[in-house]
Amino acid sequence: MKPRYRYTSLILVALILTVGFVLLCSQTGYGETLQDKLLGTGGGFIPIEGWITTAVDWMAINFRPLFDVVTIIVNVVNDTIITILRFGDWHYSGVFVFNIFGTVVQIPLLAGLVGLLMWYLSGSIVTGSAGLVMLWLAANFGYWPETIETFSLTLTSAFLALVLGIPTGIFAAINDTADTIIRPILDLMQTMPVFVYLIPAVLFFGIGPAPGAVATVIFAYPPAVRLTNLGIRGVPTELIEAGESFGCNNIQLLTKVQLPVARPNIMAGVNQTIMLALSMAVVAGLVGAGGLGGVVVRGIQRMRVGEGFVGGLVVVFVAMILDRATSNIGQSTTEEA
Amino acid sequence: MPSIELEDVYKIFGDEPEIALKLLKEGKGKDKIQAETGQVVGVRGISFTIEDNELFVIMGLSGSGKSTLLRCVNRLVEPTSGKIVLHADGTDYDVVNADSETLRQIRETQMSMVFQNFALFPHRTVIDNVAFGLEIQEVNKKERVRKAKELIEVVGLEGFGDSYPNQLSGGMQQRVGLARGLATGAEILLMDEPFSALDPLIKVQMQDELLDLMEEMQRTILFVTHDLDEALKLGDRITIMEAGKMVQLGNPEQIIVNPKTEYVADFVENADPSDVLRSETVATTSFEPDENNRVRLTESAEVELDSKGRPVQGYFSQTPIEIRSLDELSELNEDVILSTGPDTPISKIMRARLTYATTPVIIVRDGVMIGFVTERNILHGLLEKGREDL
Ligand SMILES: Nc1ncnc2c1ncn2[C@@H]1O[C@H](COP(=O)(O)OP(=O)(O)OP(=O)(O)O)[C@@H](O)[C@H]1O
Ligand SMILES: [Mg+2]
Repeated sequence: MKPRYRYTSLILVALILTVGFVLLCSQTGYGETLQDKLLGTGGGFIPIEGWITTAVDWMAINFRPLFDVVTIIVNVVNDTIITILRFGDWHYSGVFVFNIFGTVVQIPLLAGLVGLLMWYLSGSIVTGSAGLVMLWLAANFGYWPETIETFSLTLTSAFLALVLGIPTGIFAAINDTADTIIRPILDLMQTMPVFVYLIPAVLFFGIGPAPGAVATVIFAYPPAVRLTNLGIRGVPTELIEAGESFGCNNIQLLTKVQLPVARPNIMAGVNQTIMLALSMAVVAGLVGAGGLGGVVVRGIQRMRVGEGFVGGLVVVFVAMILDRATSNIGQSTTEEA
Repeated sequence: MPSIELEDVYKIFGDEPEIALKLLKEGKGKDKIQAETGQVVGVRGISFTIEDNELFVIMGLSGSGKSTLLRCVNRLVEPTSGKIVLHADGTDYDVVNADSETLRQIRETQMSMVFQNFALFPHRTVIDNVAFGLEIQEVNKKERVRKAKELIEVVGLEGFGDSYPNQLSGGMQQRVGLARGLATGAEILLMDEPFSALDPLIKVQMQDELLDLMEEMQRTILFVTHDLDEALKLGDRITIMEAGKMVQLGNPEQIIVNPKTEYVADFVENADPSDVLRSETVATTSFEPDENNRVRLTESAEVELDSKGRPVQGYFSQTPIEIRSLDELSELNEDVILSTGPDTPISKIMRARLTYATTPVIIVRDGVMIGFVTERNILHGLLEKGREDL
């Protein structure tokens, strides 16, 4: 379309909308009630609250099977991660050697493993030892089960957010229409105050880790999408042309050029997703998701300053461990230099 | 044998190309059309044929449509109209109308591309970059690596196979780009300002290496540049583009000697013609043997011709001296009359004259003298880019 036409049609659309709106207002007695509404007396002019309440109630009843499936998926992933993290308790099933020492070695062993993992991933022994110390401290502050719960809720949600988010990001990068549609939805997910969907989540998914995890996934999903999208769109045109000029088909272009080149960005998205998941997993303590969030909430509610503070401190430890362990992954292979 | 034929190729950027095409037919210019309709004329009405093993240069100022034209050939840019035919492996491919799978195969096996900013894959080692095209061809890993190593050696990067692109200098990176382009075995190499991002010394070195490579491997190259000296040095033929149009097509000497428009003349003005002008072009070709069948070259030098016009004897101030071919010159530093063929670049004559005879150089074709080159001819050639019309 030529610019001239574009402006003309824009003005036309604006005109039609205005006239339509004025007509609608005059028909519905908007003029008389306008003053009330502006002064904040009486309900909103558009009864959107009612609509949403109705929609939520309707969904809670009619989408039950879907919500149940989601609950099951979350629980399976979450339980698996908890079981792995609590390998010291496996002696109850009488299978593993750890049962010789029981829970006594569980914590040092796990702290050691986490330390080694962080050393490996970050390439710095200082970071590795810091991880070891922090986890050991967290355990000895007396909130070990809660730490494990938060860890696993975070990892579960981050895992689900990434599994959903990276493909969405790829799709948004390839398809401009999809990008236009997805973008405002992501804005909504990121800026809507979390409590607003934390409560309906309880309605939909009952109590336990599921509502917390779902709310966390909603919160942590946008950066995975955004950074994947951004990374793929940021791949230099010349590299795409190079791929095409050697006869890549679309799949090869994606797997051999776009994704590997966008890798640092995608990994930054992974890191952000995990960090957001952690912060939300803590907030989810408010709706009974337990974990360190529960400790903090309990501390505040009962005016136990110390308990709340220690809970918060352990959250910081967990955050640092997760951050340092994931922030370097993107760089490690691309820039071998 | 023709390799690629272009016929009346147009590329209009924008969503209403028909309108722009119509305005072009009415004789409106690129700028006018852009101002009126927002459509950008990329290239217009380009036709030429590239022969097998030819190094064909597309040259012009920034924005003249060189890259667009080059990209039309492998359809990284979709031509708006026109015909592009590729002759390869005994098949004629209609590139413009090829379906996506055929196009993909053409790109995979028949053409490869070298980019201005190298466009190497940062996550791949040099070997894996060079082997990229082979990977797409689904060559097995062992063979791929063998071939890649071979080409890495060809471009002089032994020992850097496991480096990543960001560890290499610009010149080295472009060698990788070149090796990657050569590795697929494609007949046709599309090169978009491959040496423009390199510093001058490396650039000249790469140009020489490209010429050497052309001797060894049979390739057809479509080479884009905005540098006339590069075009003159490399091109078998050169086309000059202005605002999407082809304004001249010819070999380097034709471009230098006979620029068709003001635009080309401006380019040529500062070019160094000494490697491009041939001896025949600058030589004095109108001469009359005297009664002894001798031709006077200067006040004191002359040559004697036999009945068929072949030079048999030289004289300097009446004293007989030898006639020696420019190409056979050794370390001898004696007075000779030099002779050479019609295609010798005048730079070579100038260099010989620096060391040897002060007499003019006689130009022979198939043994027969067709003219001679004096100092004055050379100066005239250099300054006026052609022959002095006597
Ligand atoms: N994708 C595009 N969309 C719109 N216009 C384009 C596009 N690509 C190129 N053009 C226009 O087409 C014309 C030719 O561009 P092209 O890139 O072929 O020039 P070039 O001769 O290669 O210049 P340079 O030496 O700067 O690379 C220019 O006017 C340019 O603005
Ligand atoms: Mg260009």
